[in-house]
Amino acid sequence: MRADHFTHYDSFQEALTGFTTLCRDYELKVGLSHAMEAMELCDHGFAKDQLTFQYALKSLYCTCEEEFEAFDYCFRTFWNKKKHKYNHTMSKSKTQTNAAKTNKASLVMAGFNPNGKQEEPKEEAKNVSGASRIEALKKTDFTHVSKMDSELLDQLAEQLLRQLNHRLKRKMSVSKTGPIDLRKTIRKNVSRGEDIIDLIKKNRKQDKYRIILLLDVSGSMDKYSFFLLKFIWSLKSHLKNIEAFVFSTNLIRITEFINQDQIDNAMADLTLNAHNWSGGTKIGECLKDFNDQYAKRILNGKSITIVLSDGLDDGNPGLMRSEIEKIKMRTSKLVWLNPLKGTKGYEPTAQGMQAALPYLDTFQSAHNLESLLELENILAHA
Amino acid sequence: MIPKVNQLIEDFDQLGYVVEEELATVLLLTLNLSKPLLLEGPPGVGKTEAAHIIAALKNTELIRLQCYEGLDANSAIYEWNYQKQLLSIKLSENQDLSTKEKEDHIFSEDFLLKRPLLKAISSDKQPVLLIDEVDRADEEFEAFLLELLSDFQISIPEMGTIKAKHKPIVILTSNRTRELSDALKRRCLYHWIDYPNFKKELNILKKRVPQFEQDLADQLVRFVHYLRSMKLQKSPGIAETLDWANGLLALQFKSFSVEDIEKTLGCILKSESDINLVKKEGIQTILEEIGA
Repeated sequence: MRADHFTHYDSFQEALTGFTTLCRDYELKVGLSHAMEAMELCDHGFAKDQLTFQYALKSLYCTCEEEFEAFDYCFRTFWNKKKHKYNHTMSKSKTQTNAAKTNKASLVMAGFNPNGKQEEPKEEAKNVSGASRIEALKKTDFTHVSKMDSELLDQLAEQLLRQLNHRLKRKMSVSKTGPIDLRKTIRKNVSRGEDIIDLIKKNRKQDKYRIILLLDVSGSMDKYSFFLLKFIWSLKSHLKNIEAFVFSTNLIRITEFINQDQIDNAMADLTLNAHNWSGGTKIGECLKDFNDQYAKRILNGKSITIVLSDGLDDGNPGLMRSEIEKIKMRTSKLVWLNPLKGTKGYEPTAQGMQAALPYLDTFQSAHNLESLLELENILAHA
Repeated sequence: MIPKVNQLIEDFDQLGYVVEEELATVLLLTLNLSKPLLLEGPPGVGKTEAAHIIAALKNTELIRLQCYEGLDANSAIYEWNYQKQLLSIKLSENQDLSTKEKEDHIFSEDFLLKRPLLKAISSDKQPVLLIDEVDRADEEFEAFLLELLSDFQISIPEMGTIKAKHKPIVILTSNRTRELSDALKRRCLYHWIDYPNFKKELNILKKRVPQFEQDLADQLVRFVHYLRSMKLQKSPGIAETLDWANGLLALQFKSFSVEDIEKTLGCILKSESDINLVKKEGIQTILEEIGA
């Protein structure tokens, strides 16, 4: 058994090191310098009282409110005066449930349908080569992309998104009006002695927009969610201000998971942490969660909220309507991308879709790469 | 509680601030370890106030840098007073000065506009530097801040490097509109300030608005606490509680009746939908609920 109680150590210093290790086991980000500072605070007399010691160490070892619970647990276990009765059930049970739920999710991640109805790519995945192949691929519905083509599609998406981002940036910096920038003006006119000829204007840097993506990963979206997730990931790697969430019956924030250089790592992280794949759909409830927990913090007059969902909802449409309205009030632009819209003859008759429609600024399809690239227009005119 | 913390709480108390044990411990730690302190929490719970109380305790200057989107190093550290420099060049045209002398003159401290960060570093007495709402600044600025917080020195090409005479006491606040970088967090102590509990808020109210009657104060704080338990778009902070008490006082209300509350609801609720929500719930019902 690992020494996870202070009585297992000979000296206070060693015990403190042991506690630091325990905290690291519970995924607190405690560095070497923190451990040294912990020693230092003991020299200042903070360890003489247990509560003071706890408060002091907490401020040192935690970096956000969410870590308090784990820290308090570690502290209680480790420094408890009586021999502790706590079992290390907390993280174990967590990992176990995660592992159980992971299986299904990882299947989706790999592009398979976990319900066993793996559909073979159909006739629309055209077997053409070269430039026309690329053009065709852009227009191919995600559900019909074959495995071979999917790699090419990734590359293509990557490339196009980079261009898109570049164009957006350029649009943001061209401007010739504004007050004179004296610092730059003097710099520029140094060679001309004391006469100032060229005036440099300060360009007001365009405000950066924050993009909030809400991806529906319920069962009905299975065919698309994998591609859309990839899309979100590549968007994240090119644009800075992105917040992403996935929802089905509950809402999970995935911003930190997709914040990785390698898509594989991002997917692996997601697999471990997001376990609401292929569930039912309670859009209203999830949006409510979003409004209650995050909207105040991340939505502002400079945010674009993009919902990626087919709008097939088995929750309460009334709730959904009011939550959509709330989001609309906080965000500057509300966009709904619906993969089904690309299907011929689609009418937004689903109850959820009907409830949301009056509040949307833009309602577009998202079934192939081309339709996703349309996003540029939305972002550029925001 | 160790005696030093107790002492600190008493000192604050004499200055008119109510500080609970945990915050006092963390503040003491900030002073002892000379590490920056990052405060997070909902708006209006006194994050900025924490910097004020340290400045009051240390009887030193509070230098405040309010962050906003697009804040750049120029407006945070220093800027040359270009207008004055240009004028000075024109004025000294006929004087017999060498170029070197002229240059030294216009790049002297007279022409330097000190912005908060430089001010904090060059201050003669250890100041309190408050970097307010750091989450609003861009990530680039955050990276720059990191550099400053680890070295406490700034280099100005024309003048050389300025090293801090006294390491300032640094307090950062954030409303969590975005996550701060791990690197920045790692360098700071962290404390989360939540809405105060009933007793503390009542204490604060008594301290700040002493003329306010005891049982009225009691009801008012209960009412505010009830509002916080409702899911409002913007929950009232301590500042709002104090505003409300002052408002009621100014209007010379002696009781806590439905009409009076309705008339002054704007002191505490800052959005129409919240006001409607409360009215829908029924002020009478809330009053009964809190046992007034």
